Amino acid sequence: MKKKNWWLYLLGLVIIVVHFIPIYILLGVAAKSSMDITSKWILPGYVEWNNFKEALNGGNMLLALKNTAIITVFSVFFVTVIGAFSAYPLARNRSRLNTVVKSFILGIMMIPGLSVLVPLYSTMVKIHGISTYWGIIVVLVTFNLPMSIFLFSNFIAGIPVALEEAAFIDGCNPIQTFFKIILPQLKPVVASVVILTGVGCWNDYQFSLYFLQSPQYRTIPLAVASYFSQTANNMNAAAASALLGVLPVLLLFIFLQKYFIKGMVDSAIK
Amino acid sequence: MKQKKVLALLLAAAMTVGILNGCSKRPEGSNTTDSKTEESGETKDDSEAAESTGVTLEFQHNMTGVITDAIEDACKDFTKETGIGVEVSAPGTYGEMIKARMASNDMPDVFSTHGWSTSLYVEYLEPINDQPFADKIVDSIRDMLTDADGNMYVLPADADLSGMTFNKTVLEDAGVKVEELKTWDDFTEACKKVKDSGKTPIHVGGKDSWTIGTMLDLIAPTFLTNNEETSEAEALLDGSFDWNKWEPISEMVKDWYESGYFNVDCLTADYITSCKALAQDEAAFTFYTGKAVAEAQQTNPEADLGIMPIPAADENSEPCLIGGEDLAVGVWKDSPHKDEAMQLLNYLARPEVCSKLATACGMPAGLTDVESETGILKPYYEKYMSEGVYTIPYFDRVYLPSGLYDVMCTTGTSILAGEKNAVKDSIADMKQAYEEKLAQH
Amino acid sequence: MIRRKWITNIFYIPAILLFLFFVIYPFIEGIRISFTNWNGYSQQYKYIGMANYLKMFQDENILTALKNTLIYGVGSTIIQNVLGLSYAILLNTKMKGRTLIRTVVYAPVMISGLVMGYIMYFLVQYDGGALNDILTALGVAPIDWLSDGNRAVIIMTLINSIQYVGISMVIYLAGLQNISSQYYEAAAIDGVSGWQQFRYITVPLLIPAISSSVTLNLIGGLKLFDVIQALTKGGPGYASHSLSTLVANQYFQATNAGYSATIGLFSFVLIMILSNIVTTYFNKKEVYM
Repeated sequence: MKKKNWWLYLLGLVIIVVHFIPIYILLGVAAKSSMDITSKWILPGYVEWNNFKEALNGGNMLLALKNTAIITVFSVFFVTVIGAFSAYPLARNRSRLNTVVKSFILGIMMIPGLSVLVPLYSTMVKIHGISTYWGIIVVLVTFNLPMSIFLFSNFIAGIPVALEEAAFIDGCNPIQTFFKIILPQLKPVVASVVILTGVGCWNDYQFSLYFLQSPQYRTIPLAVASYFSQTANNMNAAAASALLGVLPVLLLFIFLQKYFIKGMVDSAIK
Repeated sequence: MKQKKVLALLLAAAMTVGILNGCSKRPEGSNTTDSKTEESGETKDDSEAAESTGVTLEFQHNMTGVITDAIEDACKDFTKETGIGVEVSAPGTYGEMIKARMASNDMPDVFSTHGWSTSLYVEYLEPINDQPFADKIVDSIRDMLTDADGNMYVLPADADLSGMTFNKTVLEDAGVKVEELKTWDDFTEACKKVKDSGKTPIHVGGKDSWTIGTMLDLIAPTFLTNNEETSEAEALLDGSFDWNKWEPISEMVKDWYESGYFNVDCLTADYITSCKALAQDEAAFTFYTGKAVAEAQQTNPEADLGIMPIPAADENSEPCLIGGEDLAVGVWKDSPHKDEAMQLLNYLARPEVCSKLATACGMPAGLTDVESETGILKPYYEKYMSEGVYTIPYFDRVYLPSGLYDVMCTTGTSILAGEKNAVKDSIADMKQAYEEKLAQH
Repeated sequence: MIRRKWITNIFYIPAILLFLFFVIYPFIEGIRISFTNWNGYSQQYKYIGMANYLKMFQDENILTALKNTLIYGVGSTIIQNVLGLSYAILLNTKMKGRTLIRTVVYAPVMISGLVMGYIMYFLVQYDGGALNDILTALGVAPIDWLSDGNRAVIIMTLINSIQYVGISMVIYLAGLQNISSQYYEAAAIDGVSGWQQFRYITVPLLIPAISSSVTLNLIGGLKLFDVIQALTKGGPGYASHSLSTLVANQYFQATNAGYSATIGLFSFVLIMILSNIVTTYFNKKEVYM
């Protein structure tokens, strides 16, 4: 048995090595001094803490962390709440109107947000939403909502209707039914939505790049990007800023990976 | 438990790979940057800082490398003295960013205008005519900073006087004398000699596509506007320019490309890589200004670098230098903190501060009573100024409508990518964009 | 019954309002802008009729961007699904260290595409890049990986695929774990070979997983933006632009907002059609299976 399996383990090892390369390179470059011109495959025998210090100060990573946290928390909150509410009628009340509404929402899920960049940008200018927390939150909520609605409505469709009918007979109106019967059962799918949209908002670059112009509202991806172009002569400090930017989500993932993967799978398999 | 195991395994994996490779040692002298920053930190603590006024100015500029540091230091000192905070940033996509902010009429309180203070940015800038530094602006750029109504809008920290930069060591090794490079034919021949000597003749950092644009921007006037008899200046301005006349420019760059005069990674290296190549005696010429010399000296203070006039198209015209505003900063006219912003401008105009900025730029200062430590370039500047070398403004700032610079960058890139019809396409693309841009106004 | 349920429709009004304001209104506004020569920031512009549309259908850069977008989308989808399914089959065995493999393969999904792009720059850069270090060690001349547009497109497709293959992997793994072992036992008794088992049991039962995985990968690939911005900014020239990056480039760099809006509308409609074809195809497939 064992003899037969050795190649499986070899294969596993190869896969691990290949997929670990990016993180390995990032760790190595971030820890090296900018004067160290050894190959990127070679890890330094020391850690150049100055890189991290420079990234924190020069790249203003702490401010970026705060901004990203604020934007992510609010976006995720609204995506989850609005998503859960919107999904209920779409899952339970299958009128012709709602079928249209649902396919419309799923359609939005597919299109790249940037295809409406020009008019969306000028709209945001008109309502003074550029470089504000609310501006970027509204945009992120809008473009993350379809996925959330999709997840919630699939989940709600899987809950037996018997309980709701019982509640109705007990004299609850539909809105009360939603709050009393459906809402408490949504916990597992809420976790999925929070994780999926959380990662998406945390990493968002394409919207933040254009809708957050002022450095005061800079998020982590923006801070990393500007640091990379500004300090082209110290790529190591730039790598350190990138590492600082991905560390929070990576650690969260390693410790809660069961939920992360479950969230992904729930979103995919109906 | 499981997570810890995974984490431990990951670390173990990383370490094994590391051990297999061997580790690199901390290089000697890698702490220099650190000690420098700490020192300056200490000196700052010595003097007493002014109480914070609660006002924070936003200052965006388009500079990179050492100049960024010089600007940041100056702003920190300003904050210490006045208690007015300054948030400095230099987005790599400055041009892009600032246009977006113009659209939303939300400009930084203080921003750099990189040559466009009297055109693109004029409607967003506060005039500085009655500021104390206005009278001190050097004559060589005074006209370029003044608009039709006689207003000036920016503080020029330095006055650009640029040609091409070169590495003297590399050229001497190849047997090239800079003084003898009068025309592009001379230049091309020099490139051949450099290539034969095993070095890179022309270094371009095309990942930053502006570096390619700059090259074309320096070449264009020598063909189109420098010779008074054949000058296309009027045609360019009134929209009647025949873009087939752009062909020799593209054609020349293509020849250089085909002869292998550019660095191999001319499309994927960046500006800083170019400066390093220049510093390390690997490249002979770059189409950058004196700033590249200042940047290169960060890598190798010993490098023997200089600037030279841009060769002429033929014997009938002269080599030229290019002048204009470089690091110039203005105040947003709708800024909520206009007074504080003006205060910052006046602070930057102080001789000792302005001198540091101009020095970082590697250019002569933009104000009369200010000394710029141009160091290694000083003899060149003095020589060219005393010789009275023919000096012209940047081509695109005068003759091209805003937005065409970007097209110039991409058409140049196609040539350096060795695309088949690049020359023909460059003419067609420039023509089309030129007509569209003129129609926008 | 019907009336009482109908009232719950008020629950989706906030969502609909958001879509109206920030998707539909911009879409219509985009149609208007596409008929102008607006530069994106000034107050003046003219209506120029169909000029932007005529320009678009003659513009080779659009063709390149369209082709690239399809390569980013379809190429990534193929690689991610083939690789993802293979990984899932491997992880579905009872080998040790499965969790480790899953963690390492899935972890990059957490990293922003932008950062992944920058990391990959360390690998593919010409001077001191990790790949060229290997070539030099082997005595081969280093290659300037991103200098050729077509190669850059392929490299970025690979990067995108490797980064997000974890998504397909976990979807397929869940799909595989849902298949009852009884099918395989029965097949083994009938003497059905391994490949045939895969072809006639595994694949059909995996259709829902395939459908989701393909759709998700396709959306991700067609929207590709961050990696391109980090590695080539669409260059050299226009050679590696996707439609998304081209829209941004034409708006903010070339200051052709009118034209940019036109390209945006075009990609909006095109991707809408494409995704609908794919979803309809899989919906049918699931019904028949």
